[in-house]
Amino acid sequence: MEPDKSALAEADLVRMAQRGDMVSFEELVGRYRDKIYARAYSMMRHEEEALDLSQDAWVKGWQRLAQFQGDSSFITWMTRIVINLCLDQLRKQKRQRAESIEAMEENDGGGIERRMPVVQPNPTLGLERAELRERIDRALVQLSHEHRTVLVLHEFEELEYKEIAKRMKCSIGTVMSRLFYARRRMASLLAGLKRESSE
Amino acid sequence: MKHDLQLKVQAWLDGELPDREARQIAEWIARDAEASALAAELGCIKKAMFRNEAAAAPGESREFYWSKIERQIQREAGLRRGAGTPWYARWRRYLAPAAGVAALACVLVMAVRQNGPPTFDEISSTIDGMEAVTFHDQTSQMTVVWLQDNTPASAANIPVQDPVLSPDRPVPVSDM
Repeated sequence: MEPDKSALAEADLVRMAQRGDMVSFEELVGRYRDKIYARAYSMMRHEEEALDLSQDAWVKGWQRLAQFQGDSSFITWMTRIVINLCLDQLRKQKRQRAESIEAMEENDGGGIERRMPVVQPNPTLGLERAELRERIDRALVQLSHEHRTVLVLHEFEELEYKEIAKRMKCSIGTVMSRLFYARRRMASLLAGLKRESSE
Repeated sequence: MKHDLQLKVQAWLDGELPDREARQIAEWIARDAEASALAAELGCIKKAMFRNEAAAAPGESREFYWSKIERQIQREAGLRRGAGTPWYARWRRYLAPAAGVAALACVLVMAVRQNGPPTFDEISSTIDGMEAVTFHDQTSQMTVVWLQDNTPASAANIPVQDPVLSPDRPVPVSDM
């Protein structure tokens, strides 16, 4: 019978897993699988892909466990791995598909985001937390991969411009521009959702 | 408003500007209604999204989710082991048993040859009018040849010089 590892601290589990104890690693997977899956899902917006990528991230995590020095928390380290896998996958998909109209609008001389009227009043005002989350999720679906990714990395992962640019292999200027567009689009979409619900 | 100024407002909001520039932008936002409205809109989205990610969970049980990870880890570990082995080491696993079987077969053949019954090879050669029968005894390493003259005149014309060469008696030709 396998020993119960559920009471052990994360640091102990990581140490034992680094020595090759798969049962400890399984416990870590059990603890954080939802968070890793959620990050993959927020970037890919596709359940099957998110599932595969989250599992690939755990396999990579096991293989690179010796490199984990404890500079950040284990879950932060794992989240970086799944983000990188998702970004690689998105890059592959981007190569395979034609550029979206949305991306063309962003890159043309007069980006639509610059001309959009400022949304007032605050479209998130008075919403319950669960409802707010649900609306944010629905609005995120309508963004392009590029805009959603930069927003997820900045707002959910709390990464700085420089770090996002490094991970997305683009310039800081592109990150700022994408983030600006994504936020303005989100404001517009959330206002639309608010109007829908009040009608 | 110029796009670079819009981006400055956003960078100010995200705390990405150096202190001096941040102060300048803050002063400008406080004076400019358009910049102020833009800062309010961007700020409310930033605030709304902060720690408000919708929860998502894989639709599989913990055991099933883990089993796929475990299988992949084991499969990739196997592939890495295989990739790290030199070609001659991979061949050795097949060549070693084959060489063993071949060696065993050689030993068996040699044993049978050494311990088996002696064999007598018989070679016949016929010359006009002469008949020769050869026996080789491997055990005693000796070859014996019988010669028989069947020509009609042989009995009368060829004198028998040596009783050993008598047609009816075997003659040891050579010791091998």
